[in-house]
Order: sequence, then C-alpha cells, then structure tokens
Amino acid sequence: MPGFEIDAPGTSQLLMGNEAIARGALEAGIGFASAYPGTPSSEIMGSLAPVAKKMGFYAEWSVNEAVAIEAAAGASFAGVRAITSMKQNGRSVVADFVSTIVLTGLGKGGMVMVVCDDPQAHSSGNEDDTRTMAKWFDIPMLEPGNYQEAKDMTKYLFDLSEQLDSICLLRSVTRVSHSRGNVKLGELPRRKYKAYFEEAHDTRNPKQSKFVQNPPPPLHAAQHRRLVKAQAIFESSPFNWYRGPEKADLLIITAGSGWLHTQEVVKKLKLENRVGILKLGTLWPMPEKLVRQHLNKSSKILFVEEVDPFIERNVMELVASSPDIPRPTFYGKRSGHLNEYGELTPDIIIKAITGILGIPYQGRDADYAKKAEELAKNLVPKRSLALCPGCPHRATLWAVKTALKMDGRNGVTTGDAGCYSMGTGATGFFQVREGHCMGASCGIATGLGRLGQYDFNQPVVALCGDSSFFHANIPAFINGIWNKSNYTLLILDNNATSMTGFQPHPGTGMVAMEEATQVIKPEDLCRAVGARVEICDPFDLKQTTDALLGMMADNKGGKVLISRRECQLVKARKEKAKYKMHVDTEKCVGESCGCDRLCTRLFRCPGLTWDKKAGKSKIDTVLCAGCGVCADICPQGAIIKEEA
Amino acid sequence: MAVEAKGSRELFKEVIEAGLCTYCGACSGGCPYLVPYKGKIALLDNCTRDEGQCYGYCPRTFLDMSAISQQVFGVPYGEDELGTVKEVMIARSTGKRIKEKGQYGGTVTALMSLALAEGLIDGAILTRTGKDKAASAYLANSAAEVLQGAGSNYLACPVLETYNRTPKDSHRKLGIVGVPCQVIALSKMKQKPPENRPDIGDVKLVVGLFCTWALSPDGFYKFLKENVDLPKVTRFDIPPPPAKRFDAYIGTERKSFPLEQIRQHTMPTCAYCLDMTAEFADISVGSVEGLEGWNTVIVRTRTGAELMETAKKKKKLEIDKLPAQNLAHLKEASLLKKKRALTEIIKRSGSKNKLLYLGLSPRLVDKFLNGQGGK
Amino acid sequence: MKTLTKDPFNIIIAGVGGQGNVVLSQLIGNALVNEGYLVTIGETYGASQRGGPVMSHMRISKEIVYSPLIEEGTADIILGMEPSETLRMLGRFGNPAVKTIVNPRPIYSVDVAGGEAEYPDFDKLLEAIRGLSAKTWIVNATEEAEKMGSPIVANTILVGALVGSGTIPLDRKSMEPVLEDRFPKALALNLKAFDRGMALINQ
Ligand SMILES: Cc1cc2nc3c(=O)[nH]c(=O)nc-3n(C[C@H](O)[C@H](O)[C@H](O)COP(=O)(O)OP(=O)(O)OC[C@H]3O[C@@H](n4cnc5c(N)ncnc54)[C@H](O)[C@@H]3O)c2cc1C
Ligand code: SF4
Repeated sequence: MPGFEIDAPGTSQLLMGNEAIARGALEAGIGFASAYPGTPSSEIMGSLAPVAKKMGFYAEWSVNEAVAIEAAAGASFAGVRAITSMKQNGRSVVADFVSTIVLTGLGKGGMVMVVCDDPQAHSSGNEDDTRTMAKWFDIPMLEPGNYQEAKDMTKYLFDLSEQLDSICLLRSVTRVSHSRGNVKLGELPRRKYKAYFEEAHDTRNPKQSKFVQNPPPPLHAAQHRRLVKAQAIFESSPFNWYRGPEKADLLIITAGSGWLHTQEVVKKLKLENRVGILKLGTLWPMPEKLVRQHLNKSSKILFVEEVDPFIERNVMELVASSPDIPRPTFYGKRSGHLNEYGELTPDIIIKAITGILGIPYQGRDADYAKKAEELAKNLVPKRSLALCPGCPHRATLWAVKTALKMDGRNGVTTGDAGCYSMGTGATGFFQVREGHCMGASCGIATGLGRLGQYDFNQPVVALCGDSSFFHANIPAFINGIWNKSNYTLLILDNNATSMTGFQPHPGTGMVAMEEATQVIKPEDLCRAVGARVEICDPFDLKQTTDALLGMMADNKGGKVLISRRECQLVKARKEKAKYKMHVDTEKCVGESCGCDRLCTRLFRCPGLTWDKKAGKSKIDTVLCAGCGVCADICPQGAIIKEEA
Repeated sequence: MAVEAKGSRELFKEVIEAGLCTYCGACSGGCPYLVPYKGKIALLDNCTRDEGQCYGYCPRTFLDMSAISQQVFGVPYGEDELGTVKEVMIARSTGKRIKEKGQYGGTVTALMSLALAEGLIDGAILTRTGKDKAASAYLANSAAEVLQGAGSNYLACPVLETYNRTPKDSHRKLGIVGVPCQVIALSKMKQKPPENRPDIGDVKLVVGLFCTWALSPDGFYKFLKENVDLPKVTRFDIPPPPAKRFDAYIGTERKSFPLEQIRQHTMPTCAYCLDMTAEFADISVGSVEGLEGWNTVIVRTRTGAELMETAKKKKKLEIDKLPAQNLAHLKEASLLKKKRALTEIIKRSGSKNKLLYLGLSPRLVDKFLNGQGGK
Repeated sequence: MKTLTKDPFNIIIAGVGGQGNVVLSQLIGNALVNEGYLVTIGETYGASQRGGPVMSHMRISKEIVYSPLIEEGTADIILGMEPSETLRMLGRFGNPAVKTIVNPRPIYSVDVAGGEAEYPDFDKLLEAIRGLSAKTWIVNATEEAEKMGSPIVANTILVGALVGSGTIPLDRKSMEPVLEDRFPKALALNLKAFDRGMALINQ
C-alpha cells in the first residue's frame, strides 16, 4: 500500500489519523522526532521512524515520555523542528517539563507535542482529557476534526510554534488517531538543518541564558502575552468555521471527533436549515470574539466534545463575564444530554439533538431490533481478551500463582503497564492485584515492603515488563534498595514492548531507526546497585516457581527475578513451533477428580479447547503455538508434546 | 453417620484451616490443586468438584473405625489397646550397615530390603533426610536405596503425595512405610479404591511406625536451624523412654533438647490422634522401652507374619520375646494416647456425641476415656 | 457496478483479534479511495492480537467525510469473518435490509473453552443470521483457503466475495493494483484467491 511518506502532492490517500499527523510533521520538515509508545499514539512514531533515515531526519524511541519531550526540546533549542508524541498517560509523565518550557520558550526550531487521548479507555487504564493541560500550563492547542486536519494542523503548529516561541499541542482522540480517511497530500520540503545552540556562553557579553526559567513570574506573564497573541491569530483561523442558518433553533459547538459525528447526524436528520454547527479547531486559547459572534445564532446551545466539558466550561466562563451576551440555555454534559464519561457515538448525539428539539426519531424497526438483540444476546458467546497462545507471561503468572499459594502468606503483587496487566483477569489467573501507572509497580512495592513494623508479613512481588522497567521503575527500584524495602521485583522480560507493537527499548540492542546499539541488560543494572539477581525461563515452571519462593523467603536486600522468554508473536515470525501437541484421550480425565479441567478452565491458553461431548480436552492445532507448557501443568500427563 | 461426599473446599475449611491437617500427603500428588509445602497443604486454585478424593482419603475427615478394621482385618474394631494383633515381639537387623544407620534396630529397613529381595514388592515408598535435613519421601528400587531411608528426623512428611504421584499405569508392587495417620489414609483408599491414581491393589505391604506425635516441618525445622549447625548434623534421635530428650548428633558430639522444649513444635493435629501403633498396618514398628538398638514389632496380618517368618528364616532379623512388663507399658502408652486424644476432641467439639472426624462406638469411647492409661 | 446504491454506504467487517480484519478493510478502503470516494474506516484496536471481537466500520460517500462509527441499526453490509461475530454485529447494527456475507468457520473463545460461555449450535447460528438478513451469502473462505494451501488468503477470498456480491462500487480491475501493492510477493496467489471469492459468491 502506498506509504504515508510518498512524494505525491495533491493526491488523495487513505491515511490513519496517526499517519496523517506523521505526514504533517514531514510536510513541516521536522528534523527530530521522539516518543515512547502508547496506544493510541504509537503509529505516529511508528510511521516516522522507518522513513527517518531515507528522509534525512532523526527519530528515536525514548526510554519514556519525559525523556522524549526533553530530547525534542534539545533539538528545538538548537534550531531543529521537533515533534514528540504520547498517549494521555505519557502526558501526565511530561507535565513537569511542560510547566517549565512554557516559561522559557523555544529555540529557533518549532516544537509540537501530540497527545492522543483514549475516550472509553479502549487501550488504557484511564480516559482523562488532555485539553485541561493546555489551560493549566498556557499552551496553544488544536484538535483535528478529520484526517485532513490531522495532517494540516500538525504542519501548521510548527509555524505557529516558531511564530509564538512556544511549544504547541495537538490533541487527538482514538477515533481520529485510529481510524482512516482521505487525506490530500502536500509538498515535502527538503530542509537542511545546521544545528547550533545560540545561547552558548559569550565571554564578552555574559548573561543568563534564555533557557533558564528565572525569574518565573515575568516569564509567566510573557507566556500569557503569547497566549493573547495566539488568541488573536485563532480568531481568523481556517480551522474554525460555522455551517448553518443565520438564526438557528439550535447551535452546536463542537470539535474533534465530535464534529465528525455531529456533521453526520445533522445531515441525517435533515436539520441543516434548523441547526447550526460551530466547529472549533483551535481549542486553547479559545477564539472568544469568534465564539461570541456565533452565540446569538440561537438561544439553545449544545456542546459536543469528547470526555470533559472543556469548551462547554470555557464558553460558560465567557458568557458569565460578558453581561452584554443574552443568556442562552446550555446543553451538554452538565445538563446530562451527553455522557460525562466514555466516548461519543452518533447514537448519543442523535438522542441529544432530537431530545432538545423535541423531534420524534425512529431508529431501526422496533420488532427487528428486539429480535436481533435477543438472538445476539442468547447465541453470541462471550469473547474475553486473552494472552496469546504460547505467551511467556501466562507461564510466569502461573508460576507466580503457584509460588504465592505455596508460600501461604497471602502474598501480593503490584502491577505495571504491559500485556501482563491482563493478569488482572482470568487469562492471567487474577494474579495482578494492583495496577496504576508505569513505574508504580516498584514504587508501591517499596511502600508495602517497609510495613514490617506494623506486622505486615505478606510477601510483596512487583511485576513489570522489560520496557516498563526501563521506563520509570528504575528510580523506584533504587529507592527500595536504598531504603531497605523488602520485596521481590519480577521482571517479565520478553525482549519487546509487545502491548504497543514491539517497539525496541534499551534492552533490545536496537534503536528506532533500525540500527544496532549497546544492549543494556536489566540484570547488570540491578546487580550494579547491589541486588541479588536470578534469571529463569518461565517455560520451566518449576524453576520459576522455586526461584520466586526462594526470593520471597529471603527477607534481606534487593531481590530481582528476571523471567526471560521472547514474546511469542515476535518469535513466531522467526521460527517454527517447538512442539507438536496433542491430547492423549485415554489419559485425559476431564472434569473428574484429579484434574477438574485444569487446562481449559484455569490455564486457559487459547490453543486448548474443551470437547464437551467427549469430556476431554483438545488442542486447537491452528491456534496452538507449540510452546509445550500445558504438557507440564497437566496432572495426568495427558497433554503430549513431541518435538516438531 | 454416613460418609459425606465433599471436596477440596470443605477439606480446607474442616481440616486444613481448622488446624487438623496431619501433612500425610493423601490429598496431594494425584491432584493439581493441593500441594504440600513447608508443613502446610496449599490450595493452588479453585477446584469446583463437590466430591473429591482429597476429602475422602483425609485421615481427619470422617473415619469409621469399625468399617476400616473390617476392611483390613475382616473383624470389627475392638477393645485391644494395640488394635488387631497377631503377635508382638522385639527385633533388630542383623546387617551392620543397617544397624549403624537405622533408627533403633533397623528392623524397618531390613524388612523393606527383604520384601524387595523376595519380590513381595518391587518398589518401596520411604522417607529420607536430605542434605538440608528436611524430610522427603521417595521411591526406593533397591536395597541401597532403601538404606537411604534408615533413620529419621521425626518431621511430618507427606509420604502419600509421593505414592499418589507414582504413574498410575506402572502397576508396580509397592511397599509403603508411614506413620499411623498415613496408614489410616491408605486404609481409607483400600475401602474405596482411588480413581485416576495408582491402583491401591498394587500396595502389597504397609509398615507402620509407632508415633506419639510428629514435628512441624516449618516451626521445628526453623528451631533446628537456629539451634544446631544443620548441614553438619549426622543423626537425630529420640531415644526410647525414659530418656525424654531429642538429640542431634554431629559425629559423636551430641546436642540434646528436653522433649518439653520440643513439644511446642509438634503438629497440633497430633493432639487429636488416637493411634500410636499404626493399627491398620501389616507390621508396626517402634522402639523398646529401656532397650536401645532394638525394635518393638507388632505383626497384624498374614502378609506381615509371612514376612517376619522369612526374615527369621533368612536371618535378616534377630528376634526375641517382648518382656511382659514392656508389653504392659506399651499398652498403657497406647491407651493413654487414645484417652488424651478423646479428651482433646471432646473439649473441642463440646460433646461426647460429636467427635470431629472420629467414628467410634460410644461403648469404646467410654472404655478409652475410663481406661487406665498412664505412666 | 461502479456507483453507490446509497450514500453513505455502511460496511461492517466483523471478526476476531488476529484474523486480519484491519488488512481486509484497508484493501477495500484503498481501492475505493482510488475510485475517488471519500472513505472512513473506524477500527477497534487493542483487542487486535488478543482474541477479542474486532470490528471495522467502513463508510463510503461521495459527499462528506463520515464518522468512523456507524449508527446502530444502519449497516448495509456485514462481512463476517466468523459466524458468531457476524451475529454479534447484526444484533447492534443489523436492520431488515442488511445483507451478510459469512465465513462459517467458527473460532471458539477462551470463555467457551473455559466453560463460562457456550458456542451456539451451528445451524441455529446460521438460521439466526439468515433470519436477520435480507440476503445471506455463506462463503467457505477458510476451507477454500486451506484447499489452496494457505489459510491466510481466506481474507482475500472474502474481499473477492464482497466485490463479487455487486454491493459496492468496485470490480476486479479496481482491486488489482491494491492487491499488487499489498502482496507484491504473493500476487498470483492472492489474485487467485480473489477470483475464487468472486466465483463462490455467484455460485
Ligand atoms: C514422626 C515420627 C514419630 C515417631 N514417634 C515414635 C514414638 O513416639 N515411639 C516409637 O516407639 N517410635 C516412634 N517413631 C518410630 C521410630 O522413630 C522408628 O522409625 C521406628 O521405630 C523404626 O525404627 P527402625 O530402627 O526400624 O528404623 P529404620 O530402619 O531406620 O527405618 C526408619 C523408617 O522410617 C521411615 N521414616 C523416616 N522418617 C520418616 C518420617 N518423617 N515420616 C514417615 N516415615 C519416616 C523411613 O522411610 C524408614 O523406612 C516415630 C517415627 C516418626 C517418623
Ligand atoms: S502447547 Fe499448550 S500452552 Fe503452549 S500454546 Fe499450545 S496449547 Fe497453549
């Protein structure tokens, strides 16, 4: 398929929102890109990195989002346009740095941060709204309402960033980032950078560098002035527009994916002559004059936006402080017409509009609906997410379960972000007992491990992946050793950032631009700070269980168990399955005493199925990855592995 | 009282969490959920079965003494303090190495070796003390391997887990050496043969050890670790009464602990156990009061009698009569264990009609409670 | 047929994580864009490798860029890569005029293996799908692909079936360059699979 980078200006391509953002960066002539993967943002860097060498710019997967944004700032300080992208969790990680770079401003290179929010938390542990950050830290912010805008806004923000001397923010959401639509491509400039840090010390004219946030209050005031300037520019931005009658029965103010749904719904309901839509693309600072001009279009105003009532509150603030504006009736999240959590759908918006205007609306045929819903409810089986067949995490978590139960002191695990966080559910035997953000597994374990003085004797095991170890667990881990906290760190090392698409990390020996680099081994790092480290193969369940039992029994010092096995999905691309598996139906005792269907009921590898009629387990030869682990858990020796 | 069909959930509630588990291993080995570790049975996951062999074979779930006696000996459970007895005697091994390593007279080791040699069995499930001085059960296939089991550290050990783990299709003729609760569990298996486990018919010989109590593999092991240089210990011993001490030898150097001090580390469940002499075994073996280097032997079944006969004939054992006074003391001690256990059981249950796990006729209950056991 | 019968035309592609839903929707989407249509494809990610239900929503229009989410009850075609997932989508997006193309090979879920869920009786399942569709085509894509020695081309067979159904404004010619782009090394096989799909649906 045509790549997003093709040099074909004027043609229309089907691009994913994130590809469109990456394309915008290319059209802006970026020289530097950095990111840490996180759904739904990963494809931005995922698109940029493979073409970086060819197109002559630099791209990296950084160890975490904070480092990524700081690296990008370094490029900007030396005059190179830089982009950094992240998901909403990463945005929280970068907050400290952002709060200071807005004070100092940039170098000559424009700098754009892209944050992809995940309303409905399709692939996240939260669904919080990034837009508030723009207001909080005084950052100019745009949000694309389609794929074309995703590209165009990204490109534009570099110009704006340089014009304002401020970092600029592009907020996207899952439904834009992770969907595809037509994008008309623009020119690809060939920029030649000569990087130079202009604020170097000058003996003849010694003065403080621009890039020092000192003294803060005047710098804060300066940033406010930049915002005033931005606002003036936004008043006439082509990313904001109004469609609809001069006098409307209802004015809808919307942005982003809200616009995509709203436009469709108004068209579908044939309300183009009754309902006006003010679509905003420049969300912060809000172009107040523009909004004000449209507020008198109707006495009823509905806000359609994803997650928080951001525009809604800003317009209310505007109305409250403008006595000359007649008070309209506001509809939106506050009024309960739209959901305050979860994502927007066309259905929700149809309901809101028809409700406000009192228009009857008939969806699909009611009898049909009833029948269809009933049949689906009665017949369609539940389909839970599961760790892949042959996944090493399944084996590690099985060993964790066994070790914690054998130990018998109600051991606890703390979790991190990664595939193994599915261990909160049945596919990981509910072994992950706590899960917040990246880096927190060691952090929380550190606290738990210091409660001995309060009779706490539950062993603590912190679980984190290889990528999440590097991301933010290292400081917490060192803190634990420093403060003599008693817990075991279990690194589920599958040599990839699997959850987000196998991006490299410091332990993989590769960088984003597909060059080999030094391998940084977690065991070396841990040993260097004095921890006792053991390495096990999760497919050796006994070895893994025993190693963990041994560490839990040891009350002294930093303890690290590295459960190491390559991600099955990566492995499957390189090599064939190790074993051919089958079930000896003579030996399989199914649900009777001595098994009670351990493999399909509890171990639950998708490669195993249950033949209900026969009362025996079966290998699904299409799905089975041939790892052989189930042969070792079968109490009757009925699952047979043969060298493939 | 009928035997109730229950599963691992009830086993956990009624036995394990209730502190009644003997750590015999009958529930584990044939089950992926129940695993012995450091003196406790761990429940690894949720088994949904309402009826489980774990519950059925546990020596601390309902135990119909009469039915079991009927099963093993063909007679109801009687009044004899020592259970069903064919003959009582004293014995010791004639082998030098066995005598050296054996706990008292090495009779058990000699008998198991002989049973192997005679083809009565082709494997023996025994218990040995490892390098770490923990007890672990194993399957011995030769005289040399049987010798590894000689001697004891008195820690409770889930011997029957190892039995349950023997491949169910191997059909080996097995001999098992165990303490009384283990012998009881085996008897329960004989009563209702296991499924998806080794064939109980393949167990050809059960040698029971006398037992007053067993020591906790967790608490007592820790105690030992703190008080002796464990890896260097060469032998443990509780010399026959009236010594009243636990000895740990490093070579010839002896470190003794008064039994009073040791007693806090016994398995709590032993307080509820009535059986001192492994009453359902083919042969039961213990020490001889006041006579070091000899064993008291109770022969109970034909299999037992025949094996003793062969041992005598083939000069594997030196056999003598048990002095009458010793026999009287043995009976007293056995009765005392019954009396104490019943008292504890009733104390816990609150009624003579509710005996926790025990199915024993009121007549026998009264008899044992009023019996003249004691020193 | 190269014109839209309805604007927007709504297609739902239903399957299970790991089946290749996204590739399938991209093949069709790219061909449509080449034909000058405005296309939006909404994809559910996250579940993609992990055995959960995966659906793509495809909107085809000459007028505006439509939302990546289809309103409930308004699918025009449901292309089912798995039968129970087809019914799941009919439950939400079906309507009396909807047409369905179904690959009848079931994929069991871990919940079915685990015993918490039951996979429906096959005949009942097909009966339900037929009963809720104005027209249903059963296309044994997996079976045919296995016959061709490459289970993975089941998806290309389904693309062929969809194009062959005459419901969308595409033909073989419009698919050729797209297939060539996507499968430069296995073009012949994929063209064969595509043709097989076209043939199967018109049987
Ligand atoms: C926990 C325990 C408590 C005992 N309490 C008493 C008592 O109160 N009074 C008494 O007279 N005798 C008691 N005995 C028995 C005694 O210690 C001797 O085992 C017995 O007299 C046999 O002696 P022997 O010389 O023939 O032993 P050996 O020939 O040395 O054979 C010992 C046999 O005991 C088995 N064994 C060793 N350790 C264990 C264990 N932890 N669990 C199960 N089997 C084991 C071995 O498999 C071996 O076959 C007890 C034994 C144990 C294990
Ligand atoms: S061998 Fe067993 S555990 Fe491994 S993938 Fe196949 S079914 Fe799953």
